[in-house]
Amino acid sequence: MKRIMIDHEKCDGCKNCSIACMQAHRETEGTVYDLDLTDPRNESRNYILKDADGHYRPLFCRHCDEPKCVEACMSGALSKDPKSGHVFYDETRCGSCFMCVMNCPYGVLKPDTVSKTKVIKCDFCVNAGEGPSCVASCPKQAIYVEEV
Amino acid sequence: MKYVIIGAGVAGIEAAKTIRKRDGAGEILIVSADTHVHSRCMLHKFIAGERDEQGLDFSEKDFFSKYNVEWKKGVRVEKVCPHTKEIQLDNGEEISYDKLLLAQGADSFIPPVGELRKASNVYGLRNLSDAQAIVKEAETAENVLVIGSGLVGLDAAYGLLERGKKITIVEMVDQILPVQLDAHGAEAYQKLFENAGVRFVLGRKASEAVCEPDGKIHKVTLDNGEELACDLLIVAAGVRPALACLEGSGIDCDRGVTVDASMKTSQEDVYAAGDITGLSGIWPNATDQGHVAGENMCGAAESYTDTYAIKNTINFFGLVTLCVGRIKTEEGDQIQIKEDKTQYKRVILKDGKVEGILLQGDISNSGTWQYLIKNKIDISGINKDIFDINFADFYQVKEDGGYQWR
Amino acid sequence: MNECYGCNTCKSADKPLEGFIAGLPMETSHHRVDSQSTKCGFGLQGVCCRLCANGPCRITPKSPRGICGANADTIVVRNLLRAVASGSGCYIHVVENTALNVKNIAKTKGEIKGVETLKRLADIFGIEESDVHKCAEAVADAVLRDLYLPEYEKMQLTEKLSYGPRYEKWKELGILPGGAKSEVFHGVVKCSTNLNSDPVNMLLDCLKLGISTGIHGLVLTNLLNDVVLGEPEIRTAPVGLRVIDPDYINIMITGHQHSMFTFLQTRLIDDDVKEKAKKAGAKGFKLVGCTCVGQDLQLRGAHYTEIFDGHAGNNYTSEAILATGGIDAVISEFNCTLPGIEPICDELKIKQICIDNVAKKANAELKEFDFENRAAVTEEIIDEIVEAYKARRGSVTMNLMKDHGNDNTLTGVSEVSLKKFLGGSWQPLIDLIVSGDIKGVAGVVGCSNLTAGGHDVLSVDLVKELIARDIIVLTAGCSSGGIENCGLMVPEAARYAGPKLRAVCEKLGIPPVLNFGPCLAIGRLEIVATELAEALKVDLPQLPLVLSAAQWLEEQALADGCYGLALGLPLHLGLPPFVTGSPVAVQVLTEDMKKLTGGHVIINSDAKASADILEKIIEEKRQGLNI
Repeated sequence: MKRIMIDHEKCDGCKNCSIACMQAHRETEGTVYDLDLTDPRNESRNYILKDADGHYRPLFCRHCDEPKCVEACMSGALSKDPKSGHVFYDETRCGSCFMCVMNCPYGVLKPDTVSKTKVIKCDFCVNAGEGPSCVASCPKQAIYVEEV
Repeated sequence: MKYVIIGAGVAGIEAAKTIRKRDGAGEILIVSADTHVHSRCMLHKFIAGERDEQGLDFSEKDFFSKYNVEWKKGVRVEKVCPHTKEIQLDNGEEISYDKLLLAQGADSFIPPVGELRKASNVYGLRNLSDAQAIVKEAETAENVLVIGSGLVGLDAAYGLLERGKKITIVEMVDQILPVQLDAHGAEAYQKLFENAGVRFVLGRKASEAVCEPDGKIHKVTLDNGEELACDLLIVAAGVRPALACLEGSGIDCDRGVTVDASMKTSQEDVYAAGDITGLSGIWPNATDQGHVAGENMCGAAESYTDTYAIKNTINFFGLVTLCVGRIKTEEGDQIQIKEDKTQYKRVILKDGKVEGILLQGDISNSGTWQYLIKNKIDISGINKDIFDINFADFYQVKEDGGYQWR
Repeated sequence: MNECYGCNTCKSADKPLEGFIAGLPMETSHHRVDSQSTKCGFGLQGVCCRLCANGPCRITPKSPRGICGANADTIVVRNLLRAVASGSGCYIHVVENTALNVKNIAKTKGEIKGVETLKRLADIFGIEESDVHKCAEAVADAVLRDLYLPEYEKMQLTEKLSYGPRYEKWKELGILPGGAKSEVFHGVVKCSTNLNSDPVNMLLDCLKLGISTGIHGLVLTNLLNDVVLGEPEIRTAPVGLRVIDPDYINIMITGHQHSMFTFLQTRLIDDDVKEKAKKAGAKGFKLVGCTCVGQDLQLRGAHYTEIFDGHAGNNYTSEAILATGGIDAVISEFNCTLPGIEPICDELKIKQICIDNVAKKANAELKEFDFENRAAVTEEIIDEIVEAYKARRGSVTMNLMKDHGNDNTLTGVSEVSLKKFLGGSWQPLIDLIVSGDIKGVAGVVGCSNLTAGGHDVLSVDLVKELIARDIIVLTAGCSSGGIENCGLMVPEAARYAGPKLRAVCEKLGIPPVLNFGPCLAIGRLEIVATELAEALKVDLPQLPLVLSAAQWLEEQALADGCYGLALGLPLHLGLPPFVTGSPVAVQVLTEDMKKLTGGHVIINSDAKASADILEKIIEEKRQGLNI
């Protein structure tokens, strides 16, 4: 499967990846120039964390080999696609229990801010066509896609 | 090879899937009382009328044909005979197996109070059949009495609110959700339910309930003498592993079926997974157990190791809560609390380790807490506000790009 | 859940304030620090360039130059020059308005409260005029004339106001400024797209802007204000949120232009105006000090005891002051008026009036200061505030903090009042320095920011470290507001000082930290330093004197900092001014500057380590002087 690899030493915390993610998943039409950065409906699926020493640590869904979120899903909304290996989320099946949030050992998942009915999760930009938008936007090549 | 799985809950379904991945040719049969594969955690959505039976199905589309699994539904297992390697169904049928998985779950526990067990309008909320019966009864019932304010009791109330019922919930202790929350966190949900019209009677037990000539209970007397009128009762006082059919089978049982790390029972070729083991009532653990059992039934050697089960999430009225680990405080605990108008967070620390976390209002990116607690990670050396500790503080990326806790 | 807006507020040196803010039901800047904590590394290093349509360009290992070819040095220093020019513009705006006000007051025969200062200025400027009003007008005109000179004509007051050896050094370096406004213009042009790309050349411009900012923007603004508003007199006064008395109609003032309040502050205590307050149900009016203009009023507080009770807090305390509910109106004329006060004012029905359009707040009423119609405009403002008082009192919850701060902060310290206190000469101070009872002098100036450890955290911690090492601290700016609220400017604070400094303070009955007031008073510190150097017959870089803008916040602070460097002083900053992406900028600012002006920049965000460095510098300078 293809995975977004992370070279965290290179991360400068510019959050371009987060903006790219927001742009890729916005509900409205438009470009990054008119992306509403304040609209919580546009929230990012990736995060730049900091450790106690202030080092940047990019947090991206790993589409795990044995995904703990899928294991926790009681509605069938989360599933690991046997072909691509990616973990996909079907919003229409989701029961909004958020056991997946609890079960992700890395804390990648969160409920959506606005309605608290959906899970905010990386979809590898499958609908965008050209691979993950975050990867394309990183000025430091701190994230890149590789077959693993 | 013939694999027989009793129960079509998540443990049974996961086991079937796992077996099929390992053994493409073997015969797999699921036997269940349930006539629909359904998620017990979503029954309130059925009661509310939000979803139909199909909407509760958690399995993959066309699961049975896709994985070539046979399914006998609407039948109960009467007897399990490990010596002859067969099971007997309530329709008289006898089925032989090479490998058997017990995954028939648990049954609602109706306490022996008055005539609760005898009345025709008293239900547990465990299976789709319960939910179906509740919906039917609710067509005529106005006053609903729920006994127990745990997740199941509140689920039932949440669903019935959608049907405009007058709901009273009786709880033995003086707060709701006593297993999951502290008093402060519980109060937030209590208020939300009360604002929606639910009445709570806390710190009280039902002491008398008599069937009237129509076979139904129309009033329940509490231990303080208060009488509560009702046309429909839902008893949410816990569950017990469904062990009845195992009597005389020689399979060791304690609270549930006793299993080893490979999910094998005391009898050869008989495995158990899910609520019947009494190990935990938590979905992800049942999934994991089903998976491990399936692997071992096919001869692989896998162990059920991620056994931590003191964990839950709650979501009513859009107020989400995560609670992992210990909820009750004890001497020597270091408690840290943060609270504002959107959230309430409380952590219990002991000797530099997190023993319990409660997050209410915002549970974003909170998955790391379970890991910290179950692995007893010492966080005393991390120079950060405890609520800001996150995976960055344990960050490691493996060669294949996967994360790993440092 | 409770009523608090958010539980992730930042730390504060002022613990009661920290608790107060954490418990507020509304959002403040302290709440937003957490959600802004992941900073863009390019921005932090100053290597993001948005000067043209090809941008933003960022410097990375794979892209060491922007599309135009600018490297990190060019990008960083262009950004720095832009910030310094902007900061200088702010102070020059302030001195321009101040000089105009002095001129107008003089022309209309208004009150000249600081005759001594006027004489002093006239002497320096070479003006001989016995009529105070004519003299004041001539002084103001001389300042304005300088400000409006073209860039190619050097300002005339620079030499008159600067220390001889420094002036010669500046001349040698070719950084004597032309007209102060034109220098801002020049700086802005220089750093525009595809013009100057020479980092050292642009850094020299920063120094030049530092000089015009320091001498005209800082030194002269103080003295011109003293002329019309009165000279500072040493006394003690209450500080902190305790100064808010809900029995009065309270007006919080923010900004940097004290002269704009000349009429209002006297009019508010006229009987007919007090009557308006009484009719509305209040005892009268009070001005509540906030940010630097509040410090200005506190500094000259001896002249304003009736209208002014005390300074409540600095820039990042302003939201808390408003959140007490006790403030009925905000009159602002400049920074540091945070945009964050706007929603709080809306929620608590606090009237916002801006009297200078450069600082117009989004939801405030603009009532521009208008000298000719000052009487009518002042009357309108007063009536609107009375109306706001009537509309809000009773319907807005009070959340006062009566025990915050203290009652006896020493204030009114200036280059004149301090010398007077010492008996009319600097000799006693020099003697103490020579004997080692006072190891050295540190000016802890500038702002508060929320990221160098939290609100006032580094400033206060650093001050504690310095005084414990027997280094006396002089403050100017929002740092004063934080340090005074933390109780370091009361005489009893002597106990925090090292044994020698403590003995000195106890003998004199003064705190180990002396409050010079607003950031403008950095100019007063420079006068003290110059007079000390003169007395010792040395140049400024030889003095056992260091500067720290530990919690510098904004562009003005960077312009001030450039003045400090031009003066040849060691300048400590808690956070780097977005320059670390440029090796040249770092080398020049932290090392090569020593050879240019004698000054240099020290960047360190740890209080103890910073104090160690500053103490070492002071010790080296003492050795240089053989003391």
